[in-house]
Amino acid sequence: MRGLLLALLLAVACRPADRPVTPPPAHRIVSLAPSSTELLFALGAGGQLVGRTTWCRYPPAALQVPDVGDGLNPNIEAIAARQPDLVVLYRSPLNETATTQLARLGIPAVTVAQDRLEDIARAARELGRLTGHEAAGDSIGAALEALLRTPAPTPIARVAFVVWDNPPMVIGGGSYLDQLATLAGGANVFHDLGAASATVSIETIVARNPDVILVLSDSSAPPAYSGRREWRAIRAVREQRFIMLPADLFGRPSPSAPAAVAALRRALEARAK
Amino acid sequence: MNRWLALGALVVVALVSAVALGPAHVALGDLASSEIVRSLRIPRALLALLVGGSLGVAGVSLQALVRNPLADPFLLGLSGGAGLGAVLAIALHVAGPWALPLAAFAGALGAMALVYRLGLVGGAQLDPRVLLLAGVAVGAFSGAITTAIVSLAEAADLRNAFLWLWGGLSGASWDTVLVMVVYIPVPLVVLYAAARPLDLLALGEEPATHLGADVEPLKRRVYVAASLLTAAAVAVSGVIGFVGLIVPHITRLVWGHRHRALLPAAFLGGGALLLFADTAARVAVAPRELPVGIVTALVGVPLFALLLRRWAGTRS
Repeated sequence: MRGLLLALLLAVACRPADRPVTPPPAHRIVSLAPSSTELLFALGAGGQLVGRTTWCRYPPAALQVPDVGDGLNPNIEAIAARQPDLVVLYRSPLNETATTQLARLGIPAVTVAQDRLEDIARAARELGRLTGHEAAGDSIGAALEALLRTPAPTPIARVAFVVWDNPPMVIGGGSYLDQLATLAGGANVFHDLGAASATVSIETIVARNPDVILVLSDSSAPPAYSGRREWRAIRAVREQRFIMLPADLFGRPSPSAPAAVAALRRALEARAK
Repeated sequence: MNRWLALGALVVVALVSAVALGPAHVALGDLASSEIVRSLRIPRALLALLVGGSLGVAGVSLQALVRNPLADPFLLGLSGGAGLGAVLAIALHVAGPWALPLAAFAGALGAMALVYRLGLVGGAQLDPRVLLLAGVAVGAFSGAITTAIVSLAEAADLRNAFLWLWGGLSGASWDTVLVMVVYIPVPLVVLYAAARPLDLLALGEEPATHLGADVEPLKRRVYVAASLLTAAAVAVSGVIGFVGLIVPHITRLVWGHRHRALLPAAFLGGGALLLFADTAARVAVAPRELPVGIVTALVGVPLFALLLRRWAGTRS
């Protein structure tokens, strides 16, 4: 019985490999999310890109690719005008209409989850295969999977990601940034919140008392709210214990996750001294 | 007199529960010494009282002015103006801890001035119906500009400006309480002084004039004072719906139509409603927090419906 189950599982797991014909690699790709654009450049498929969203600004070479507008509810006409042979969509209910519209036009499209580290590993392999960069995809995928398998180090600091101040919004356990923090030795004090982000009261942040507040920002200046009295009830704000995370490295789920983890680890160690 | 005692008790219960309850656990014995209570809960409770009270009073005054039971302090275009101000401040990178509240206040005042100008028919008379329409038009227009900026601009912060606009009381501190304590007495006194003429205005402009009310200056004073109250409320706490719509009706059902009683009752009632709503918003799904505007609707609307049925029942 167990053997049968295993065989069934294997059959299900191997199905993509059993496709009768592998389509030829795409060479006119439109990428509709910042993460997939960065990933395609990392795979070496940047030269095959013929469209990107307004928000795809990394790596800098992406800015040379024509802009087709938004990635959620995308402009199908602008995409079709690029005559793509592959459209990469971000997996979201908001993109379901776009997917059917593209199918109706006969434009091949894949929908790719890109919210967490494991999504990027899976996307690297899939996009590598679809664009003729299978080896690069496997190597990025393997590197990210190895990172995921690394046992998380003993936490050296309790952290909170504060992404907006009024209402106060923090990053919860269901997010990529939470994964990075855990791997870097930072215990997210809002890990128990299942959502990727959530609104909380300032007093909840005071009570959970993080050692450091992590801020997504390219500037080194402390966030504006640190000058407000209600925020100074938080010890880390009062003591100006902020770590600024540059958007290029931390702003989206990325194949550079190992570098981001290492950078965050160094910053946390420097703070701990 | 019992009504006033009951209302006073309600406010006290609302204040005490707002200070005693919260997502963080503070033992009852530590309430007096706790940093969370002293620098977060007490100012937030006081701000809820002041903002809720301001919205209640602004609602009573505006409903009397435009003689329309649907009038809400935010119907006159102020929320649209405040939102535009806040979004512009972010888009133009105006920095500083007080940038957003000040920009929203300026935007609300801008909308107020524009609506006022449009409402002046023939350059002299303030026509309440035109005022309402001008408010809706200015609100829709500034809302459209705001949405255009947010959808075209690049900064992710801009989308958060909408969150701020519907944000509630998380920006409360002793600073904001102090600003409100200094600011709101002036419009409150202006409106209270207009209590008797407002009673006459309810009869219609012509009868009011015959009964000795100086109608034109009265309308201007009431409009400006109520708008100034609303602008301050939106600057410190964003747009909080339903308080300014429902509280006037509830207080009118209990206190009748005399504004000398109605205005203070609306202040205390609005304060109590917002206090209860904010406490529920902080505690109900802790450690997460609900937008307070949702709670004011969830608490206020059923209460309103209940009173409305009783009132309709006594009339038939």
